[in-house]
Amino acid sequence: MVMTKELAPKKLTIGLDAPGERLVMLGNEAIARGAIEAGVQVAAAYPGTPSTEVVETLSRLAKEFDMHVEWSTNEKVAFEVSYGAALAGVRAMSCMKQVGLSVALDSVKGAAYNGIRGGLLLHSADETAARSPQGLRDTRLIAEREYIPVLEPATVQEAKDMTVEAFRLSEEFGHPFILRTVTTLSHGRSDVVLGKISGEKREGSFVKLPPAPWGRPAEVAVFKRFDKIKEAVNTFPWNQLKLVKGAKLGIIASGVAYVYVSEALRALKLDGKVSVLKIGTPYPLPETLVKKLLTSVDEVLVVEELNPFVELHVKAIAGEDNIPVKIHGKELIGPFEVSDRIVIGALSKVTGAASPIDFAELDRINKEMASLLPLRPYYACVGCPHRASQYALKRAAMKVAREYGKGVEPIYTPDIGCYSTGGNPPLGVSDRNATSSMGGSIGVACGLAQVMKAPVIAQIGDSTFFHAGMPPLVNAVFNKTKVTVVVLDNLTTGMTGFQAHPGTGTTAVGDETTAIKIEDVARAFGVKFIEIIDPFDSLKKAIDTFERAMRFDGPSVVVSRRICAQVYLSAMRRKGEAIIPYYVDQDKCTQCDVCITQFGCPAIIKEDEKVVIDSLQCTGCGVCAQVCPHNAIFQEQSK
Amino acid sequence: MIEEFNMLISGVGGQGSVLMGELLGRAAVADGLNVKGSEIIGLAQRGGAVTSVLRIGSACQSPMVPLGTGDIMIGLEPAEALRNITYMAKSSIIVVNDRRVMSVTTLLGMGTYASIEEIIEKLKKYSSRVISMDAIALAKQAGSARSANIVMMGAGFGTGKIPVRIETIKATIEARFGARESISNIKAFELGYNLCR
Repeated sequence: MVMTKELAPKKLTIGLDAPGERLVMLGNEAIARGAIEAGVQVAAAYPGTPSTEVVETLSRLAKEFDMHVEWSTNEKVAFEVSYGAALAGVRAMSCMKQVGLSVALDSVKGAAYNGIRGGLLLHSADETAARSPQGLRDTRLIAEREYIPVLEPATVQEAKDMTVEAFRLSEEFGHPFILRTVTTLSHGRSDVVLGKISGEKREGSFVKLPPAPWGRPAEVAVFKRFDKIKEAVNTFPWNQLKLVKGAKLGIIASGVAYVYVSEALRALKLDGKVSVLKIGTPYPLPETLVKKLLTSVDEVLVVEELNPFVELHVKAIAGEDNIPVKIHGKELIGPFEVSDRIVIGALSKVTGAASPIDFAELDRINKEMASLLPLRPYYACVGCPHRASQYALKRAAMKVAREYGKGVEPIYTPDIGCYSTGGNPPLGVSDRNATSSMGGSIGVACGLAQVMKAPVIAQIGDSTFFHAGMPPLVNAVFNKTKVTVVVLDNLTTGMTGFQAHPGTGTTAVGDETTAIKIEDVARAFGVKFIEIIDPFDSLKKAIDTFERAMRFDGPSVVVSRRICAQVYLSAMRRKGEAIIPYYVDQDKCTQCDVCITQFGCPAIIKEDEKVVIDSLQCTGCGVCAQVCPHNAIFQEQSK
Repeated sequence: MIEEFNMLISGVGGQGSVLMGELLGRAAVADGLNVKGSEIIGLAQRGGAVTSVLRIGSACQSPMVPLGTGDIMIGLEPAEALRNITYMAKSSIIVVNDRRVMSVTTLLGMGTYASIEEIIEKLKKYSSRVISMDAIALAKQAGSARSANIVMMGAGFGTGKIPVRIETIKATIEARFGARESISNIKAFELGYNLCR
């Protein structure tokens, strides 16, 4: 047994030039590796779960492999950057979560319409686990609308291999390709056999074309390219048909569903009794292979995550050729992540095979445990500056709302970021039903403010402000809207793992750049009320500032600026500096519980009915000492 | 050749389950094994439920532990161990930290959090063996409370259930951390390991 290079530190290994070597990596790291093997020269993204790790990994290797890697201001810009580079003949990619694909869409259409020269890959990660606040969206539906082929890996190894091939295919057909992953693939982990790193570096060259006719002729060119791709996918290695002679049942499994199907067939002892079509290109489907399967069985089960995309196409193929086959799909599989239980359940129903696991018993056990277990909704971290800002904001907003009349409540339009956790008790400063999209807090607030006699407060993060918050702020100035915009500026992209953005002063690869200040942007837009606060400095001052902002007749901006607690903690650790925690003086504490019931820092807990601060968790921010009405909280003495 | 080994690490965000999954995956591959797994990272906030999966063997294809088949669970947080109990086989071993991480919702009177005794009793009911410990106290003894996850990993190895060689996992820990942190982490690993042997 040989100790491989696997044991070397992580940041060096993904770029290892050792074909045949096995490395363990996440799906997203495998995509980054594939891009390096393919010789990608430009990669751009806006971070978003579960896609972030691709460009994060590439950013660490950018200098070593002479790539341009950037965090772009949003997904539309990220796509455009990759498209521009591909127009100049180099290989380029953009990465985004599926929600970001909606943002990029206008430009994505353009690339499919015009065609490209250098390989152009768009990685879109579908958040099939439905853990984020923006709901399920299926990349494949968007791809179909724009005639862009979709590759979908079943395994982490395939994610790497497909990425390499996608660039070649994109160049072969002169058309962009999409790599679609789902949560379990992007965050799945596996050993991966490395391929050769291309090492090819191309000079950019832009070819000026004579004015081409728009409209119908251009669309016809798209259809022609797409028809060639439609034919070619039948022989792609990731589409595999295993026909079993005499089998009555066929399974069509798309992407990651395939591995669940394989394991379920083994668990149900149906191996070798069922025909299986593994799909690696959900769009366009390998029609020849689909027809072969449909004509050889009586019944088909389609297994896929999210929309019934493959299912409807398969049904259309069967209908077109009048193939007499019963097709099952979403009625047995459901819309979310595929699991062992879902596939075993569906296969048991269709075949009558007995499940080796008694799922009803497991449900009973879960029910037995439910009452013993705490709820764990997402909370802002211990020491998070957003908690302090939102505590002050709530106090100010309640007071100003009362000035509007008895029983009037402030309206808080939330955005997409860590601060949306402020909607949970005890703060409750985020109206969940007013969540729309990145930047949506300000736009939706503009509408509410036109018709509501109440303070309307938009809360948006720094990275989100640059992403999509600027146009609606211009709108508020332009249309003289009385709305308060609170920018919760923690000097990083917090929710996705602390990436750089236009306000941080560094790029994705750690180079220094101009730090664009949000207050400067607001000033340039013509906002007349702009104030900057530090939420840890003085809650009293913060409350007063928010009150004045809400009373201002016109759009007002308050930038609440304080470094993210996690970034602060890791910097302290790096410097070897100690965190000095706070404690509750039990002689002074009256057990009023205000620190718990109104502030809610997770480090403030109860032991033997007494309020105490968990010194292991406390970050020493000291805001609870300001919240305490009895001055019973103090910082421990530094040693 | 191992056919199927299923392991689950459960905890709350910030406890280091993702790091543990990464270390185990690397060590297994260094030992020549095939690995599958996943990180249920959720959002970046600390305090949410987090799980990490490690599967070793020729039959393992999916990134998740199939329900009712887990061989060993490392529970960095007792309630999170219990929350995932249905992934475990009746024959499984559960190594659990007995330090409860309270939730703000519980303090606000929304939902309950059972006593540690009750949680361990339930874990015992649906597994073959439960080993509980104060991992933070042991980690402090090793030099840093932050090594509690490594104590728990050592304890997992102490049960003899994990099909990765001890020397390999130790070498992986050393390669991952700097010289200073390696010493306390190896000590943490051994404290956990010796507790379960």
